[in-house]
Amino acid sequence: MFERFTKDARDVVKGAVEQAEGERAGTVDPGHLMLALLDREASRASFALAALGADERRESARRALADSRRRAGLSRAETDALAGLGIDVSEIVARVEEAHGIGSMSGDRKGKGWWSGRRGFGRDARDVLEGALRVAVALRDRHIGDEHILLALTSRPGVPAEILADHGVTYESVTRVLYGSGGGVKAG
Amino acid sequence: MTEATDLAERAGDRDPRIGLRAVAALRRLLEQLETVQVRNARNQGWSWQEIAGELGVSRQAVHKKYGRH
Repeated sequence: MFERFTKDARDVVKGAVEQAEGERAGTVDPGHLMLALLDREASRASFALAALGADERRESARRALADSRRRAGLSRAETDALAGLGIDVSEIVARVEEAHGIGSMSGDRKGKGWWSGRRGFGRDARDVLEGALRVAVALRDRHIGDEHILLALTSRPGVPAEILADHGVTYESVTRVLYGSGGGVKAG
Repeated sequence: MTEATDLAERAGDRDPRIGLRAVAALRRLLEQLETVQVRNARNQGWSWQEIAGELGVSRQAVHKKYGRH
């Protein structure tokens, strides 16, 4: 699969690893791919993000991701679903942080010995890369570029898709700016 | 609205999507809580056996999930 990745797409993969290293996270997750995409310049994905005005709201997206990580990585939709059951996630996080320190519910597997080892792509992040392949096939593109990784992120339910959507970046809006109004068939 | 109907409307939501989403979210929250507690227990010198006993699972299960490889 990787031989079909363009240099831009490979740079996103590398960038995601760097993001994970910067956070001292044990594995690369879709959030790291989102952060790497937001940092892109002069690529198809960065063009789409700029056209949608999301490049200027990078910090806001970054903050939203950090907030979600602190809430056990739950999306807003998930937090709302739990609130519907009478479970107040922020209250739980506050109590756990009181006892175990700020960020203890973030699942960042910091420190020596705790899930130490090679920093690889987690299953979710690999799913996104496989999704990029499917998106490229659906759009009849021969290569997998960073825009396909972006599209795969937007079409996969989860925190990055939710944050991107809050910043005007959806599968539909990205295909619109990159492929015109016709867009493409949405890939699973 | 009485408290009873309010509760019934929320917890027993008829829309499966909302109910299932809540269950999935709860599972993720649970995983995080377990991680925090297991790490804390290990930091305090608890054995895998003791941790497994409290969690009600086998020692192998907890060690496989959290132990060093």
